Amino acid sequence: MSKVRSQLSLIVVLMSLGIFFLLPMGAAFEYSIRNGLEGGYSFKNYLWAIREEDFVYYALRSFWLSSLTVVITLMVLVPLLTWIHVTKPRVQGWIDGLSLLPLVIPVVAFAVGAQLALPDVVKNTVLELPFLYFILSLPYAYRALDIGLRAIPLKTLVEAARSSGANWRRTITTVIVPITRTAVLATVALTFALSLGEYTLTVLLHWDTFPTWVTFVAQENLLGAIAISMMTLIIPFLLLAAISLLTPSSKNER
Amino acid sequence: MSQNYLKVKGLSKKFGNVVALNNFSLEVARGELVTLLGPSGCGKTTALRLVAGLERQDSGTIFLESRDLTLIPAHHRNMGMVFQAYSLFPNLTVAENVAFGLQMRKVDRSARIKKAHELLDLVGLDSQSARFPHQLSGGQQQRVALARALAFEPEILLLDEPLSALDAQVRSNLREEIRRLQLSLGTTTLFVTHDQEEAMSISDRVGVMNEGRLEQIDTPDDLYNHPKNVFIANFVGLMNQVSGTKTGKSVSVFGANLKVKNEVVTDGRVLVYIRPEFVELECTESDADAKVISRLFLGSVSQVICQLNDGTIVHSLLSSRMSAEFAPGIRVKIRVNEDEVLVSNG
Amino acid sequence: MSLVVQESGKANSGAPSTRGATIHPALLTFIPLLPFILIFGFFFIYPIAALVYVSFLSNENTFTISNYVTAFSKPYNQGFWNSVKLGLLSALMGAIPGAIAAYFLEIKGSVKIRRVIAALNGVLANTGGVPLAFMFTAALGIQGFITVALKYVGIDLYANQFSLATFSGVLIVYLYFQLPLMIIVFSPAITSLRKEWREAASNLGASRSKYWRHVGLPILFPSFLASFLLLFASGFSAYATVNALTVGNFPLTPLQIGGLLDGNVSATQLHLGKALGVVMIVISALAVVPYLLIQRRVARWTS
Repeated sequence: MSKVRSQLSLIVVLMSLGIFFLLPMGAAFEYSIRNGLEGGYSFKNYLWAIREEDFVYYALRSFWLSSLTVVITLMVLVPLLTWIHVTKPRVQGWIDGLSLLPLVIPVVAFAVGAQLALPDVVKNTVLELPFLYFILSLPYAYRALDIGLRAIPLKTLVEAARSSGANWRRTITTVIVPITRTAVLATVALTFALSLGEYTLTVLLHWDTFPTWVTFVAQENLLGAIAISMMTLIIPFLLLAAISLLTPSSKNER
Repeated sequence: MSQNYLKVKGLSKKFGNVVALNNFSLEVARGELVTLLGPSGCGKTTALRLVAGLERQDSGTIFLESRDLTLIPAHHRNMGMVFQAYSLFPNLTVAENVAFGLQMRKVDRSARIKKAHELLDLVGLDSQSARFPHQLSGGQQQRVALARALAFEPEILLLDEPLSALDAQVRSNLREEIRRLQLSLGTTTLFVTHDQEEAMSISDRVGVMNEGRLEQIDTPDDLYNHPKNVFIANFVGLMNQVSGTKTGKSVSVFGANLKVKNEVVTDGRVLVYIRPEFVELECTESDADAKVISRLFLGSVSQVICQLNDGTIVHSLLSSRMSAEFAPGIRVKIRVNEDEVLVSNG
Repeated sequence: MSLVVQESGKANSGAPSTRGATIHPALLTFIPLLPFILIFGFFFIYPIAALVYVSFLSNENTFTISNYVTAFSKPYNQGFWNSVKLGLLSALMGAIPGAIAAYFLEIKGSVKIRRVIAALNGVLANTGGVPLAFMFTAALGIQGFITVALKYVGIDLYANQFSLATFSGVLIVYLYFQLPLMIIVFSPAITSLRKEWREAASNLGASRSKYWRHVGLPILFPSFLASFLLLFASGFSAYATVNALTVGNFPLTPLQIGGLLDGNVSATQLHLGKALGVVMIVISALAVVPYLLIQRRVARWTS
């Protein structure tokens, strides 16, 4: 009885959230499977989208750009943060502060600056994007790794690895990364998701990736664009939910 | 001492299928400091939380004098509690924390500020009254928590392992301070700890708990010298366990016959329990019982650790002056300087 | 003595090959810092510095504040006003229900429920922008399910020329990333409320409502304020959703900057867009810097 009552508030909250989130999502989904003038429902808009040549092209492009961002993030931040935690340099406060700076700058303003300042050699290659995505995800990636490294006796581990003859590269790849894998994985997921969904900077710098392609599609086939949008919301959600449900809970979770 | 100030009768509590407390009864006299001691998970904290009203018992009653507290909610029980750690409100200053209980009792501002300073002075922290909890050390935070629990003159002070998160030095200072304050204010106190040294040093009586039950409650001396059973003997103080042979009411160990203190079912091979201070050593060339393996110098006394021929380790507590001759490797004969011992079928 | 000679002899023999590349050992220890400083400096500090510098240049590259004068007059001042209003309203409308939802989810929700909601929030708050816009185009479009359903119960959305490309339309869509963002940033504050505080309050004689008034709410308030500020910054500078919803013709600063950058909108002042960008940075900093400071202060409380 009292158990039902104490759960009531939660049920009300969950139902409100459910209506709030799922109603428009369901409505949009219903719209996206309408069969046009003939009436009835079909997945033809989805099939159309998947069969588009550009669908695969831009999906792959977004995928490798995001992967590259992840690689840059890890290669820059893991050694940097290891170094910071081992030597505790005086510049630590400054670097912590700098890493948060991108949070202050609206992406639109950043895009104007990048367009203005970066030399043509850089602007003419799509490889500028992973570096810019790195900047955008820096506040989150830096924090996630920092927390992970703070939780282990890093200095002792590094000294132990170094004294048993491992060089820095081996110390990082065989000791630090495996021990902090939860934090490293969180960083990878954060950076990857942010890069994959990035729209503002990409479109303002006139590059095409999967998210910007959708707005382009909308101009000729709105239903197709809606179908693609539904997929980009639902598929990552299902994937994320499945992964997080399958991960065993840690002991500091209730 | 009439032991009827706080009367707890037949308390039981289950969490899911786990029995946390099983028919727990306890009486505490006015002004007494009673400690509940036991390994983790023995139910001592549950007992304290039931008394505080922070959990609701499945059955049993709690009386304070003639007042039935069994169904009274925690915020009307008028008991001051000190938690393990982190219980100070981070948004309030030290003084505001201490005055909180008075504020809830609608004491006017000037009176509660005066009282807060009084209490802080008592724990030696009046100079810190305007600071925030996170600016204090762990030991200082616990002093403030103690002042806060005492400020509204509670009928009972409840201490839930208040020292367990502190460094050894701070811990022993603070425990003496708690006892000093408790005696000078005459506050009836129920103290929960897993640290037997802590329990034995400051309590009027100590109750040893195991698996949700109170095994024995006695003065520290009686508990140490007259443990009711093997669990208590082992849990309180250092205890040697050596094998002996029991026949009827006596047991033979190290060539001596001692009286058996407790009822044991079978005769034959048994474990005999002997305190280290009753183990005496004597250097010998022939018929040795054991070999000295090390000697720990503890100041006025030393602990000599010996190994019997069957591999059992035996500790002996001797005055340091006498223990000097027992260097590692020396072969010794053991004599038990006690008439009556506890045994078990081990 | 002989040791010194030996050492210097060794150094000499190695000198010819390494002379050009000799690095002072003190510098060597800073090597992990180098890639970070280079990338951060080149791809972030340099563009932002250039943005600020150029915003003060006239078309003839002389110093001027005329870009800022234009930025604060019509129609750009209207853009700032709309953007600030949108930021504040969407933050307020996301923050309050978001905080309540976060509380009940963290306190009462099981691990599984919380994880599923976290996944949903993550997708909506981080990748939601453009897909959300299309989702609402479908749901609230003239033939959308919700529109039709509302008409059925007697509410005609389009009677008053409703459009998603209006202030209120954009506001609704913004809630769909503001509310999830609130749950994400506010949940840690709920988790950091210690059980001991509630128990201590109750032990000291505080009823439930007194605990909230004197302890719970005062502890949560700074985090709430910080989350609100972050939501404001996010709503104020959002570009993707509104760009997809309105095809860029709505008086909001981010869209105006985008238009100037694309050359879709012509301005007599070449560097007007940069000045608008700098003003955006200043407004955003007014929210994000206090956000960061409050977060730091709160972290000290609970550590």
